[in-house]
Amino acid sequence: MKLDRTNIKTGIGIVSLILAFIVPVILGINQYLLTVLIITLVFIIYSSAWNLLALSGQASLGHAAFFGIGGYVSAIITNSLGLPPIVAIFVGGFFAAFIGILIGFTCIRMREWFLAMVTFGFAIIAHTITTELPWLTGGWDGIPAKRLISVTITNYIMYEYYIMLLIAVAVVVIIYQLTKSRMGLALEAIRENELEAKVMGINVTKYKLMAFAVSAFFTGIAGALEIHHFGYITPEVYGMDISFWPIIYSISGGLFTIGGPILGTIVITFIWEILRTFGLMYERFILIGVILILIVIFLPRGLVSIPEKIKRSHP
Amino acid sequence: MDLSVLLQILVWGLYAGCIYILLAIGLNLIFGVMKVVNFAHGELLMLGAYAAFWIYTLSGINPYLIIALAMILLGIIGVFIERLCFRPIMGTGKLNEIFLSLGLIYLFQNLAALLWTTGSRSIHSPYSDVSVSIGSIRLPLDYIIIIVFTILFLIAFQLFMKRTTLGRAMRATSQNREAAALMGIHVERMDMLSFALGSALAAAAGSLWLISGQIANPYMGSIPAIKAFAVIIIGGLGSIPGAIVAGLTLGIAENVLPLFIQSFVGLFGVSMSFTAWKDTIAFFILIIVLVIRPTGIFGEKGE
Repeated sequence: MKLDRTNIKTGIGIVSLILAFIVPVILGINQYLLTVLIITLVFIIYSSAWNLLALSGQASLGHAAFFGIGGYVSAIITNSLGLPPIVAIFVGGFFAAFIGILIGFTCIRMREWFLAMVTFGFAIIAHTITTELPWLTGGWDGIPAKRLISVTITNYIMYEYYIMLLIAVAVVVIIYQLTKSRMGLALEAIRENELEAKVMGINVTKYKLMAFAVSAFFTGIAGALEIHHFGYITPEVYGMDISFWPIIYSISGGLFTIGGPILGTIVITFIWEILRTFGLMYERFILIGVILILIVIFLPRGLVSIPEKIKRSHP
Repeated sequence: MDLSVLLQILVWGLYAGCIYILLAIGLNLIFGVMKVVNFAHGELLMLGAYAAFWIYTLSGINPYLIIALAMILLGIIGVFIERLCFRPIMGTGKLNEIFLSLGLIYLFQNLAALLWTTGSRSIHSPYSDVSVSIGSIRLPLDYIIIIVFTILFLIAFQLFMKRTTLGRAMRATSQNREAAALMGIHVERMDMLSFALGSALAAAAGSLWLISGQIANPYMGSIPAIKAFAVIIIGGLGSIPGAIVAGLTLGIAENVLPLFIQSFVGLFGVSMSFTAWKDTIAFFILIIVLVIRPTGIFGEKGE
């Protein structure tokens, strides 16, 4: 088999997938490590979803709105209707998608930083609505959420990890298929030049709304997964940093690519956890800020572009 | 609602509006000259407030005299930000500016938290006990000083932009960068100057905010900055009169509207407080304006 780029990429994909599946076997059932991996998987879903919207040129600064809405809806319906969390997360996702369409509709004519401001605003509005409805959401204190797998089951954390892994793989595959479909091509055309895309007969409004809906759907699922892992939800899920993490992950990995958000999430989480062991707090955020600035300036296409860069400088 | 209460709130709104205007003018200037949006502008306000706090704590001179020092200090920081961060990415797309600003926000907020802890800082204005009575309302002297200061800043800024060679050069650069460069204007120096001036105005806003009795902490900048963005979007990119009108309107609206809505629903026998919605009012106005006119009210073109 010839080792061209596609084959190498598929190879890396398969190897990392196998690695992900056998990690608990190699490292044993380590509560801390599996928790970190679970959160990494949640954020892989989240970053990939954010990146899909960015693919259409719409960079959202308020994705925490969808993350939080997915989480709250899922928590509320598991508590009141007794649905199992694994079903409820999809309801949360659908609700987030519905809100996503509404928000997308108001944003349809806005671009770049107008859009950034407005999406940022929607996260703050969602935060305020949540804290102002204490009978439903528990206000500032939040509400408990059922665990994805009951903690009474032995090695529940391992089952949780595998469920998250399956969902993450499914989401990444779906997003990959979408970017290869008509929709992905349309979104890229819209990002490059909206007017030209329109002239070519692409229904810009339809595809932009679709991007919003799909992105919000997966973000809502990620949010629901996270809160069913932690077992509670508070308005902190609407925090500024929750909106910014997928951006940081996607940019450091590589915008507009499939591997970028995955690689970025893993690398940054790894650095983050290493720094945690040194007991650093603010220094971690400072370092993340510096990394982000350096990547935007020197490596605008992210970590996934490094092999290409090396190849170009040493032909 | 009592008329004197309403007037009191109006003055409070006017005072908040002044802070937004100072921030918005700086942002507008940077945008006009460089076509760059610095989302980390609020962090410059925060650094300005800390600069004022430290100079005051260490020297003890009248806080209103310190503002000039804080402005100079932040002006220098602004030059560094422009040269090291924004110049390398100029022309690589608007998304990069947004992402780079996010990095700056993380950097400055946490640097401040690391150096000066997250605790709240405040300083005691020598006039904090003095208030002026006009009719039935009492105004703290500090508010009046701040409103006067803002007016003076605006006049000085306007004179600088209209009457001096440097100001003209900056306006020329913001109108047409290439033509300005061909006319012998050092456009990159104008970039630096616009960033220095914008940062200095943010420092002025920060130190005035601190002196008037507000607290400083590493995260104080984000909310005023967001509102300043709302102000320039509503007022139109690059429009200074628009920024003044929008800044005052927003300052007053976010203080008066919650009470209006409260007394309105009170007519139907519902007693509900809407003060928690204060910070979201800017966004509701922003969203409504942008849905109707995606380029802002006074803006001619969005790009």
